[in-house]
Amino acid sequence: MSFDPILYSHVAKEEDYPDKTVIIEEGSTGYWIFVVLEGKVRVTQKTPQGAVTIDTLKEGDVFGEMAFFERGRGMRTASVIADGPVRLGLLDTDQLDKDYEALSPQLKELITTLIIRLKETTRQASTLSAEKSLRR
Amino acid sequence: MNKGKEKIPPIVRLHYKKGDLIVKEGDYGISIYKIIDGRVGVFTQAGDQDISLATLGQGEIIGEMVFLYGDTEPRSASVRALEASEIEVWHPARLSREYDQIPGTLKYIIDQTLGHLLRINKVFGLLRAREKAERDSAPPSEPLTSQRRFYRKEIDMLCRYRPAGTSSEKSLIGRIKDLSRGGLALSVENSNVEKCSHIPGDKFSINTELPTDKKLDLTAEIVAIRQDQSDKNVLLGMNITHLTEHDMKNLGFFLMP
Repeated sequence: MSFDPILYSHVAKEEDYPDKTVIIEEGSTGYWIFVVLEGKVRVTQKTPQGAVTIDTLKEGDVFGEMAFFERGRGMRTASVIADGPVRLGLLDTDQLDKDYEALSPQLKELITTLIIRLKETTRQASTLSAEKSLRR
Repeated sequence: MNKGKEKIPPIVRLHYKKGDLIVKEGDYGISIYKIIDGRVGVFTQAGDQDISLATLGQGEIIGEMVFLYGDTEPRSASVRALEASEIEVWHPARLSREYDQIPGTLKYIIDQTLGHLLRINKVFGLLRAREKAERDSAPPSEPLTSQRRFYRKEIDMLCRYRPAGTSSEKSLIGRIKDLSRGGLALSVENSNVEKCSHIPGDKFSINTELPTDKKLDLTAEIVAIRQDQSDKNVLLGMNITHLTEHDMKNLGFFLMP
């Protein structure tokens, strides 16, 4: 497998999903962090013009981490949908929680800033992309 | 990073007076700033004009790019204190050292998040560049119809409309004067204009019934405004921004020559 063995050691359980399964629903709450073990997923966001795909993730890619870093305060900001059959790993967040809490306040704030920037830019990009596709 | 005994500057707090420059565009700086108290303005210079980009306040962070992206570019914007402000200055070396020591899995996840941000930044940059290119190359034309390349049908149809996102109790009455796949001309009485905003960029939800007895619900955005000859009405040139597939089919049938 092409991804980090340390990461794999944190996989609490593995799950298989058929094509088009909605793994994360935008607007819902959840705390799991996922890693793609096999296959691909699409990340989509709702816009007034309909859902747009903002990214495609493959083996070794992690998703769902934004809600984790928001420490359960936020909602899922995008949907994640199986693009073909996928096998996902759900990460053990107990150890990650401990590791995160041990960070200095400055580093935590930097990670929070990173999440805010990611949210803002993703929203801007999906809005622009939806408006463009409408005009075409 | 050199893990020798070089001294890492401690976290310091600095006080700025109103108007003081905190970060200068074009400078090579590596510090990260956190606003403890006060308000600062982020701006960039275009010619001899300052273009305001953002106003930041308590708890917000500036200059994180250096750290997050390992950015070696000069500062992309200036920051000025808008009032007496207290700012905490972090040296990235301290954070880099700690970052390097984060346990493997957590670090992998943070790196992934960074990767997502870099990717989406690139996508956004490309989208914006492409949009600017399209806008620059679009030929100037009659604003009421320019963006409506499809077949237009002249009609006179009553409709109810309201600012998008508001409840139907706010509905106003208008008349659709022509209709195409891409947009419509909506005639409204001057008195409506006084009830809520009717300016370019405003979006309205519009409900009407086609002469084919099919209901039509859509959302459209004002792109141009013209006073009607009668002087009692305003004609709004609108682009359709949302139409369900079902409604699009009904509209298509209606528009067929």
